[in-house]
Amino acid sequence: MSEPRMTEELDRMKSEYEPLLPVERKLVWYTFGTGVVLLAIFVLISRALS
Amino acid sequence: MANEANVIKAEATSPEPATAIAQTRVAEDWLAVWIGLLVFALSLALLFGADLLGWAITTSIWTMPSKALAPASKLYSKVPSLLSLVATYLFLLGILLAAAKALRANLWRFAQGFTAVFILSYACWFLGSWAYIAATPDKRPALKIAWSLSLTNESGFIIALIVGLLIGNFLPGIARAIKEAIRPELYIKTAIVILGGFLGIVALEQRQLATSVIFRGICAIIEAYLIYWPIVYFISRRYFGFSREWAAPLASGISVCGVSAAIATGGAIRARPIVPIMVSSLVVVFAVIELMVLPFAAQHYLSGQPMVAAAWMGLAVKTDGAAVASGAITDSLLRAKALAVSGIAFQPGWILGVTTTVKVFIDVFIGVWAFILAWIWSAKIERREGDRVRPVEIWQRFPKFILGYVATFLLVLAIGIATPGLVPKIKAAMAQANVFRSIFFLMTFFAIGVMSNFRRLWQEGFAKLAAVYVLCLFGYIIWVGLLISWLFFHGVFPPIVKG
Repeated sequence: MSEPRMTEELDRMKSEYEPLLPVERKLVWYTFGTGVVLLAIFVLISRALS
Repeated sequence: MANEANVIKAEATSPEPATAIAQTRVAEDWLAVWIGLLVFALSLALLFGADLLGWAITTSIWTMPSKALAPASKLYSKVPSLLSLVATYLFLLGILLAAAKALRANLWRFAQGFTAVFILSYACWFLGSWAYIAATPDKRPALKIAWSLSLTNESGFIIALIVGLLIGNFLPGIARAIKEAIRPELYIKTAIVILGGFLGIVALEQRQLATSVIFRGICAIIEAYLIYWPIVYFISRRYFGFSREWAAPLASGISVCGVSAAIATGGAIRARPIVPIMVSSLVVVFAVIELMVLPFAAQHYLSGQPMVAAAWMGLAVKTDGAAVASGAITDSLLRAKALAVSGIAFQPGWILGVTTTVKVFIDVFIGVWAFILAWIWSAKIERREGDRVRPVEIWQRFPKFILGYVATFLLVLAIGIATPGLVPKIKAAMAQANVFRSIFFLMTFFAIGVMSNFRRLWQEGFAKLAAVYVLCLFGYIIWVGLLISWLFFHGVFPPIVKG
């Protein structure tokens, strides 16, 4: 495979930083929040079943 | 993985790289299903009195090399072991050549490469079965040896990995010569299809425990997606300044299921092909590091909670091959330690079964996750005219080899439940199929080693990607995976062997 010029790409990312959009923040925190809530529910269910 | 590496090379020149990747992956998945089902079906002929796979080679723990090898079945006990070994090689060569033809590989090169892969892998297995390396303390008196490393014969997997790494990193000429047969994804998927039948037998004996393990496995993997992914994505974006195009495949590669997830996510958000490819290179390298460290860490710190260790391997080790391989090693190491320290003989297969269950469920959800990301990206983040995400894409991204795994698992379960009198014969049949599962595992280890080029880590630009990977994997994923495994599998134990 041809080696990519990753330094250039990463430098460009630094100078052309894409700020986090509100929708990305929502995606991150809603997903994480759902995960934590479901974790608690599933742990309770698995304890109840055992 | 190797398949992906091959596709990666092709795509640089292909006008439709995403299509090429998808087609090759699907083809390899289906081939794994057919090869696995073929071995499974041939082994089941025992139920009708036909011993079709008993000639396959097995290796027992040895002190005298001449007594190490023997055919799997007593019916073939008079067959010379060398002939049994050659027959096993020719059988595998035949079916894999058919697979290589379907994948449009160069058949002559594949045959040459496979011959080297088989010989070297099996030599590692043979060495790993040497009593001084493999024997557990309870077996030393019978073998008349005073000491041993107690690594069990699965240490052959580690030796195969090390030999593969040496070839991949220091003997590039050999690695290039055999690369057509370096297909760890095909090997591990085939092994997983065969493993389904073996785990079906295990589950048949403890149905209630098996149901509980499957439920806990589902819970654990949903958590893995929802808790791992957003944090890794956030860290990549916020603290390392990665663009969305890089952060999403990176988050999937680190948190979900390595190579497959990185490529599916790359496709879902329409990243350039090079992005998931670079992420995949990292995933493979770090999976090898995890494979060499985590089972031994589990043996040291989690020997009292074998199922926690098993789930941990499934949640923390990326790539199917490395995760299931870690489960196999953890199974051996923890059972050996429990026997040596507490005199408890856990039934083999349960630890591997939990790791595989967790990993398989993670795979099942890759398509769903890619679909969700594709919808969010096309509807909310990078809106384009005419963009529509179709539900059929979930099926298109579904790893088809899982159908084979589920089929063998359910078939064995169904036959065993319907006709309990056949259980001993099914057990014998699965033991024969297991011979091939072990060989496919072995070749997976070797192939993973060959394709893991650690030098890439030092190449231009990799440091930043590797930094995110190291931080998230070793600072977050591994510990959260351990916590989740502990929450769901704490206090669950494999059945104990009676007698």
